[in-house]
Amino acid sequence: MIRNYIKTAFRSLRKNKGFTAINILGLALGLATCLLIVLYVVDELSYDRYNTKINRIYRVNEDLKLGGNNVLYAVCMPPLAKTLKAEYPYVENAVRLKNAGTSHVKKGNFNISENRIAFADPSLFDVFTLPMINGNPASALVEPNSVVITETTAKKYFNSTNVVGKTLLLNDNTLCKVTGVIKDISKQSHFNFDFFISMASFPDSRSNEWLRSDYNTYVLLKDPSDAKKLEASFPELLKKFSGAQMQAQLNMSIDAFEKSGSFFRMNLTPLTDIHLHSNRSGELGPNGTTQYVYIFSAIAIFILLIACVNFMNLSTARSSNRAREVGVRKVLGSPRKYLIAQFLTESILVTLIATVIAFFVAALLLPLFNHLADKDIVITAQSLVWIVPSLLFIVVFIGSLSGSYPAFYLSAFQPIDVLKGKLAAGFKGGRLRSFLVVFQFSISIFLIIGTLVIYNQLNYIQTKNLGYNRNQVLIVQNIFELNNQAKIFKQEVKGLPGVVNTTMTGFLPTSNWKNTAIYFPDASRDQKRSMFPQNWEIDEDYISTLDMKMVSGRSFSRDMATDSDGIVINEAAAKFLGFKDPVNKTIYKSLGGNHTADNVKQYHILGVVKDFNFSSLRQNVSPVVMRLAENNGALSIRVNTTNLPALLSQIKDKWKSISPNVQIDYSFMDQEFDASYRTEQRTGQIFIVFTSLAILIACLGLFGLAAYAAEQRTKEIGIRKVLGANVSAIVGMLSKDFIKLVFISILIASPLAWFFMNKWFLQDFAYRINIQWWVLVLAGVAALFIAFITVSFQSIKAAIANPVDSLKNE
Amino acid sequence: MIKITNLEKFYRTEEVETIALNKLSIEIATGEFVAIMGPSGCGKSTLLNILGMLDDPDAGSYVFNEIEVAHFTERKRADLRKHNIGFVFQSFNLIDELTVFENVELPLIYTGVPSSERVKRVEEVLDKMQIMHRRNHYPQQLSGGQQQRVAIARAVVNKPKLILADEPTGNLDSSNGNDVMELLTDLNEQGTTIIMVTHSEHDARYSHRIIRLLDGQSVMENIMV
Ligand SMILES: Nc1ncnc2c1ncn2[C@@H]1O[C@H](COP(=O)(O)OP(=O)(O)O)[C@@H](O)[C@H]1O
Ligand SMILES: [Mg+2]
Repeated sequence: MIRNYIKTAFRSLRKNKGFTAINILGLALGLATCLLIVLYVVDELSYDRYNTKINRIYRVNEDLKLGGNNVLYAVCMPPLAKTLKAEYPYVENAVRLKNAGTSHVKKGNFNISENRIAFADPSLFDVFTLPMINGNPASALVEPNSVVITETTAKKYFNSTNVVGKTLLLNDNTLCKVTGVIKDISKQSHFNFDFFISMASFPDSRSNEWLRSDYNTYVLLKDPSDAKKLEASFPELLKKFSGAQMQAQLNMSIDAFEKSGSFFRMNLTPLTDIHLHSNRSGELGPNGTTQYVYIFSAIAIFILLIACVNFMNLSTARSSNRAREVGVRKVLGSPRKYLIAQFLTESILVTLIATVIAFFVAALLLPLFNHLADKDIVITAQSLVWIVPSLLFIVVFIGSLSGSYPAFYLSAFQPIDVLKGKLAAGFKGGRLRSFLVVFQFSISIFLIIGTLVIYNQLNYIQTKNLGYNRNQVLIVQNIFELNNQAKIFKQEVKGLPGVVNTTMTGFLPTSNWKNTAIYFPDASRDQKRSMFPQNWEIDEDYISTLDMKMVSGRSFSRDMATDSDGIVINEAAAKFLGFKDPVNKTIYKSLGGNHTADNVKQYHILGVVKDFNFSSLRQNVSPVVMRLAENNGALSIRVNTTNLPALLSQIKDKWKSISPNVQIDYSFMDQEFDASYRTEQRTGQIFIVFTSLAILIACLGLFGLAAYAAEQRTKEIGIRKVLGANVSAIVGMLSKDFIKLVFISILIASPLAWFFMNKWFLQDFAYRINIQWWVLVLAGVAALFIAFITVSFQSIKAAIANPVDSLKNE
Repeated sequence: MIKITNLEKFYRTEEVETIALNKLSIEIATGEFVAIMGPSGCGKSTLLNILGMLDDPDAGSYVFNEIEVAHFTERKRADLRKHNIGFVFQSFNLIDELTVFENVELPLIYTGVPSSERVKRVEEVLDKMQIMHRRNHYPQQLSGGQQQRVAIARAVVNKPKLILADEPTGNLDSSNGNDVMELLTDLNEQGTTIIMVTHSEHDARYSHRIIRLLDGQSVMENIMV
């Protein structure tokens, strides 16, 4: 029997080649897109899962509230790890990681700049699953100046992975012994380092200070259920270990500190949550956000729905043509269930074909998608273990769902009605079909609006006045390589034709150099009124080179000998301090240590600089204070030249003459800026692709429906033409019904899109656009236009046909 | 009113070429009632379609009201057609989704008659055809004879000078058929030219003249007395 169903199904599908092709194509496209998104989402959800002890690993965080400042840290105090392990028996192990920043590693005569370097405790390989190819994981990071490197790094420096015992020279002054080679760390890891240097090499790691936070600290618990217990014991722990230091430095007990409205707390983040749910200060790398996971999951579901709707629409539309077949079969005695089985077989067969095509299309497009989404997704045997059953489920589910309507609807008809043609007339209106078309187009319009909003916001970010000018600024990094020659380099570069100005500091609005300090508005050092601003070191040329504006007062000047006691603050800082007229006021910087008068330094405010955006536009501008100090992090050069390559090569030559062994490392400020919005750019691109696909699939369906409608009405069209209707009247008549549906969709989708884009996307930006009315109008017009083109293709075809042909069957 | 000379029409389908009309020449005067007869497939419908400007000839001349229309564009033909010609088909060709009233109203919409004028004219013609009481019914709710009367109402509502009827009684029983023939005769007596294709010698007797076709050629003309 089944074979008979399949045979009949095949024949019926072949007989209606056009419909079958549209059906399969639409469904395959939808499923392929959906599969890609699912792979993306699964990838995002499976960060850090390579760790076999993942459920027992937690990161310890610190939440600090000090006066009006609130900071969430992903880092903790230096002695915390060893203390946790010693104090709590259920803490099986603990490990600290500390990002070591950029170092130079010697290869032959050359120094290579490396920035994926971390200091790590010996327990690293017990907590995290980082399989060692060579070396002993238990002892690899015990001795000072030991380094464990990844496979790729080993090959890069030694052309071999069998390198335990060899040495690497760091920064021309530190010789490290390679004690282990580990497999490359999965890209799905919240940290990704190429070098792990033993913590013992870093003297600061032995610090016993309990009032600073700069070590990423992880604990391995004996049992996941101990996490609650551990969190509950943190207040006690803090009292015990940091109480004395707080008393000495802030002159108050922890209780008094808490009572004053400030706090100092610790908590745990499960390793599984770090990638998607953690965005704290001091993360080991950029993490993802659930936002995009949700948005893309929603898009996947939308696209799948659109594709299913197509399938249902076309199947039901076509099945009314088969009413006669059903009638004849019933007259001949076919029971209802056979008819249902027949229809279901057909739609499952179509779904199966589409799914197979979808799988191969997705596999084919995966490299392209990886490029677009900056992922390294591969379909492996392991992923097939879940992909294949899910696809089979989809085949059965979508196949039955889409086939069920025609199957149950048609098979329930009385054969006499069907044969008399009553069914065909009743079926044409297709209320359900109209509803489904509205549904599809609402989604498409929603996505169009979403795309426009994302691009509007990106454009806003690109064009917003940030308070400084990032164009035409060349940044030469790592000026410290030049040692005491740095200043000479600056002078010489400044003298080059085409150079407008230069400023030497690593603290730039586009850089990751950040430093904070505690300031007080008065000498009482009342921590309630303390400010916790960015604390930057700049030179006299900073404000003018970066084109920042002074709101009041002045910037640092070479002519003023006392400017080293001066300070420039931004508007946010002025507002925080509550000074009406900040210029010439004095503020006090805490120097740490004990709470005595000589532990503060006074600064008088020289001027207030207009707020400039230095972190993401997702955040409001926070207070910044800038002191006059020599900082050789980078040299920013404002250029004004038509021959940039020539200028660049002059600058390179100067560098080479001072430091022949170290490669110059430079970038442009506007590129650095763009790089920090790459996630948004990428999201925008992905959105465009998915939106186009969604619309394409919806249009395929509309195309099929229009063809069907035109076919159903050929005779009517013929009659109307004989009676004098012209082509445009016919096209109008055929398009009107569909256009009406698109209009309804616009009305439904616009407010929803407005609401959700505000809530899901824009809300994340402190600086954001308002969704303009024209965005909604544009999306609506675009949808109307696309729908009209799709429908008129069929309508015009029907309208220009010779009526003699359609009326001939007399 | 109509003068065709050496009219030719071919159909080409995959190597087989059918000559539907073979150098056919006919003249029909204003006010005539002409019946066209002949065996199935001899080209009657083809001729009627060309006369009705639904189709164009491959060769020959077709002069309608002193105007040569054989090479008219589709647009010009459509224009001439909707003002001058009404059609009646064997299978009625009413639009199922429209009521009797709306069906009859269609030609007026397409010739741009204002709405109030349309209501008046449709009601007038429905009255004349004695189907006024069915004005809000749908075609499926009517008998064959009633449907054909609606079709005739629709054909004449624009007051065409020429009515082309292709086997108008073919789907009707003899009593309904006779009614239709009476209607056509009435219209003819009021001055409308009528050209009717029929298989029935009985119906042909209502006409003034019978043109007999054989293989696309006119073989005989009988003048009725
Ligand atoms: N669209 C067409 N394509 C091919 N052959 C056609 C077409 N229309 C009519 N014919 C052929 O032309 C001839 C005349 O047809 P027709 O005018 O319909 O005859 P009838 O006298 O029965 O109305 C027939 O042989 C028919 O098969
Ligand atoms: Mg015929």
